Amino acid sequence: MTIFHDIQSIGFLTEIRESALVYPVIMTTHLACIAVFGGLILMTDLRLLGLALKSQSIASVVNGLRNWKRLGFCIMVTMGLLLGTSEAEKYQPNPFFWWKMGLLAMVGVHALIFRPLVYNHPEELDRSPVIPTRAKVAAVLSLVLWMSVVTMGRLIGYWEPEQAKVAQVE
Amino acid sequence: MFTFLMTNPIGDAMNNTEWAFPLCECFHIIGFALSIGTIVVVDLRMLGLALKSTTSAQLLKDTRMWTMAGLTVMLISGPLIFLSDPVMYMGNQSFRFKIGALLVAILYNYTIHAKVAKGPDSPTAKLVALVSILLWVSVVAGGLFIAFV
Repeated sequence: MTIFHDIQSIGFLTEIRESALVYPVIMTTHLACIAVFGGLILMTDLRLLGLALKSQSIASVVNGLRNWKRLGFCIMVTMGLLLGTSEAEKYQPNPFFWWKMGLLAMVGVHALIFRPLVYNHPEELDRSPVIPTRAKVAAVLSLVLWMSVVTMGRLIGYWEPEQAKVAQVE
Repeated sequence: MFTFLMTNPIGDAMNNTEWAFPLCECFHIIGFALSIGTIVVVDLRMLGLALKSTTSAQLLKDTRMWTMAGLTVMLISGPLIFLSDPVMYMGNQSFRFKIGALLVAILYNYTIHAKVAKGPDSPTAKLVALVSILLWVSVVAGGLFIAFV
């Protein structure tokens, strides 16, 4: 596919792909962000489910970690974009890559739905005698979505194009 | 010892099913997201950068169980991954670095880090938190570089 070839042929993307050090360093940053900021997402969701950080109000957890999650998300996405675009031709036929992109789009939909309902008004959740179901639904969906994103991301590395498989058998 | 490692039944099981290895890796990533994420919550508080309405001591108490849960997942899936190809891992520079960093990070987390997190805010606490983040990031980096050295 020429467009994917064109993308990865952009000067600095070629350099990233061919560098022995820059590529793994970008990947490490991507993974470190998953560890740190994925962990923050997990903690927020567990608080919404009433399973962790219970001595804190929902509002203080959601508001207190919001900027850090945003920062982490931005770094994670930037690194992911560099990884994906520098190997665009390799990723283009990979079904796990497209599953991952699809799931990330669902994360976006999740945000569109649950920001106005849950995350933008955490004080309301604290005022409720029990944690409202909509907050728990948001948390469970967020956990499932992010774990699936991680899983698909990891599986990208295990997929081989058909030609390669045939070549191995021969 | 090495022959045992090379022919261990767990390694065979890991290598003979197509999904066992990637599945373990996914658990490994989710496990360290949970453990490192919870530790970093405490670190951010110690640095005075997040959740200032509470104390690091309280956060440590709240997150301890989840850190332990993440570590458990990590320390089960990790050795399984290792057993799939012990000889390769033992000879891998990055793997050795990672295990060293991991041991230091765990020890640090349950000694100095725990002690200081239970105390009041101070410049020392900030330093301790920063070292904690650096230690855990170097564990992740060491793990990733196994595939690149």
